[in-house]
Amino acid sequence: MADAFDVIVIGSGPGGYVTAIRASQLGLRTAIVERSELGGICLNWGCIPTKALLKSGEVYEQLDHLKDYGLAVEKKAFDFDAVVKRSRKVAAQLNSGVAFLMKKHKIEVVEGFAKLEKGSPAPTVVVGDRKLTAKHVIVATGARARTIPAIGLEPDGERIWTYREALVPKAAPKTLVVIGSGAIGMEFASFYRALGSEVTVVEMMPRILPVEDEEVSKAAHKSFEKRGIRFRVPASVKKLSKTAKGVALEIEAAGKAETLEADVCIVAVGIVGNVEDMGLEALGVKIDRTHIVTDSHGGTGVPGLYAIGDVAGPPWLAHKASHEGVHCVEHIAGLKPTNLTSPIPGCTYTTPQVASVGLTEAQAKEQGLDPKVGRFPFRVNGKAIAAGETDGFIKTVFDGRTGALIGAHMIGHEVTEMVQGFAIAMTLEATEAELQATVFPHPTMSEAMHESALDAYGKALHI
Amino acid sequence: MTGSGPHGRIIKADVDKAQPASPQAKAAAAAPASAPAAAAAPREHKSLEQMGIAPGSYDLIPLDGMRKTVARRMTDSFRDVPHFPLTIDIEIDELLAARAKINGLLEKTGVKVSVNDIVMKACAVALMKVPEANASYSPEGIAMHHHADIAMAVAIPGGLITPIIRKAETKGLAQIATEAKDLAARARDKKLKPEEFQGGTFSVSNLGMFGIRTFASILNEPQGCILSVGAGEKRPVVKGDQIVIANVMSVTLTCDHRVVDGAVGARFLAAFKEMLEEPLRMIV
Ligand SMILES: Cc1cc2nc3c(=O)[nH]c(=O)nc-3n(C[C@H](O)[C@H](O)[C@H](O)COP(=O)(O)OP(=O)(O)OC[C@H]3O[C@@H](n4cnc5c(N)ncnc54)[C@H](O)[C@@H]3O)c2cc1C
Repeated sequence: MADAFDVIVIGSGPGGYVTAIRASQLGLRTAIVERSELGGICLNWGCIPTKALLKSGEVYEQLDHLKDYGLAVEKKAFDFDAVVKRSRKVAAQLNSGVAFLMKKHKIEVVEGFAKLEKGSPAPTVVVGDRKLTAKHVIVATGARARTIPAIGLEPDGERIWTYREALVPKAAPKTLVVIGSGAIGMEFASFYRALGSEVTVVEMMPRILPVEDEEVSKAAHKSFEKRGIRFRVPASVKKLSKTAKGVALEIEAAGKAETLEADVCIVAVGIVGNVEDMGLEALGVKIDRTHIVTDSHGGTGVPGLYAIGDVAGPPWLAHKASHEGVHCVEHIAGLKPTNLTSPIPGCTYTTPQVASVGLTEAQAKEQGLDPKVGRFPFRVNGKAIAAGETDGFIKTVFDGRTGALIGAHMIGHEVTEMVQGFAIAMTLEATEAELQATVFPHPTMSEAMHESALDAYGKALHI
Repeated sequence: MTGSGPHGRIIKADVDKAQPASPQAKAAAAAPASAPAAAAAPREHKSLEQMGIAPGSYDLIPLDGMRKTVARRMTDSFRDVPHFPLTIDIEIDELLAARAKINGLLEKTGVKVSVNDIVMKACAVALMKVPEANASYSPEGIAMHHHADIAMAVAIPGGLITPIIRKAETKGLAQIATEAKDLAARARDKKLKPEEFQGGTFSVSNLGMFGIRTFASILNEPQGCILSVGAGEKRPVVKGDQIVIANVMSVTLTCDHRVVDGAVGARFLAAFKEMLEEPLRMIV
């Protein structure tokens, strides 16, 4: 019975590897199966390497504003290979960090592609010629870029990219079309624009960053346009084809057909879950539009089989994957998970950044909540003025009846580092009173959080 | 009240549970003007445990998208639409004979017309004769549909779906049979496009093959009627003063009373019955 575990986790992304660590902490004998790199998409091909690239772009773009700060450089330039190399080095460092954590927690790492067969009390995990059994099996196989081959939205390894190719290019394209203005599409648009590419973003929905609050979407649109990013919104994509030197994208915007030509096209039209070839259907696992259907603890309905993270549905975010995994394995271990509702923040690391948590104003209205809304612009925040980062604002949404904070939406410099404050407030079920009574340090950009909560009740001080 | 939060702290979930109505419903009630289309108060949902089912005594199958859609649409319809059923018996000996003849004629083409195909065709023609039954209620007014777009309920693994025969009144039986077969097959493979199952004007649901005699379906909003078709079977019927054996099929029309009143429903059923009892009427 050498291969009998308490828990086997399939996939080692931020969902899987965190789940494995927590399982081991709870005294469960744990194995993790990974077919390619430890750390999954997030560490190797997602969150982390993109942030490394974006930092290079941000620093480089800042050089254009040196004069504002009383500084000067002779000539600005970049070494594209070195920019990409740095991003890969950062990913590699974190990847070996996960390997270390697995060793530290005595988690057996099994390399290979996992398949599932009927078994009891949980399905049997088959990797190559090894058969692993466990009491509980957690599927955390993540997701990959959605492609639509019928209209040419399919990577060709050369001029048509998904995020994979966009992370390790040989050179920055002179002209670039990005299809899809979600977080991933906009981050690549932001990065390549910073390094001088001419970027056009095509979005099918009526506005960019369509899941964000409408005011934030609009402000982001303006800021990006100011940086020279062009948009076609809303536009439907008819066909993408390769030309002699690049790509041609046929679209229809405002009732008019148009063809956009560029060196390269990045396809960022959503993602699909990794649910194929594992034997899930034969086990009777329910799959809804490429995602495994689960209950509130990750249970799939098949005894002993759970699913968490990207493969279990939106939002497709690393911290959501980790959170679900911990919740699932604590439930398995018989711990009583807290009864708290944990809102999941979402961040986009463009210039300027966008971050949000909870309901948008429109969603609150749809739920019949009669929201009270506060806003505060960085334009009049002391620290923002001193730092030369006055773009953006913070918007807060409160339940008009109870005063509970139900949403926060922000755009501006490093707002992704601030949104956790509102997430904590929401987990604590805070109302406007607690936020207004909290003392925020001066001078910080976070004072705009305070002012926004004051403004919702007509009490803002600096405007 | 005991708190279920960290260290026994009372949290929102505890307060919500202690209240008879959900906070959203109350907020909506308090501000009716600002929340125009606020839905009716959502039911307070008790856990299975609270309702006496022991944990561990069952397997929980998570809800997929289709199950959620069926649950929501059927609940909304059954709760919000004032509906009533009308049942009528139809003798179908002539229809069965006509069907055998038609299928004989079609033999070479490989097309086979089912009783349900004829039922759909007859519905479409009857709807043209009684257009008030081919209608939808909306707060802006009653929509009188130009065509009979007949939605047919198809059972598929995990639920059901209603693909549509568009403009069925303009189509011959062979075409209806071909389309129905193709739609049902693709429905089972989950290959239907949204426009193929959204927006019918009248539904037909048939449980005859299971031996069900009569049943009354729940309306498929915004359609004004749905016809529930039972099994065709030999029954004793009174003709003159004699009891004779005939093939009889009972059908039930569920009507949205906001748009289809009893007399309208009855007129539709009369027209429908006439046509099935004398199938030649379908072509005159
Ligand atoms: C370009 C990009 C940028 C992103 N930026 C952010 C961000 O800034 N913030 C954020 O929160 N999220 C971001 N995301 C999303 C984030 O990467 C995902 O939400 C996260 O990785 C999901 O974690 P996971 O554990 O569910 O799956 P994954 O990270 O996808 O990991 C799944 C792992 O399972 C393995 N696997 C799959 N099938 C099998 C099998 N049968 N056997 C063995 N192994 C298998 C895969 O090889 C993979 O390593 C970004 C994504 C992309 C693509």
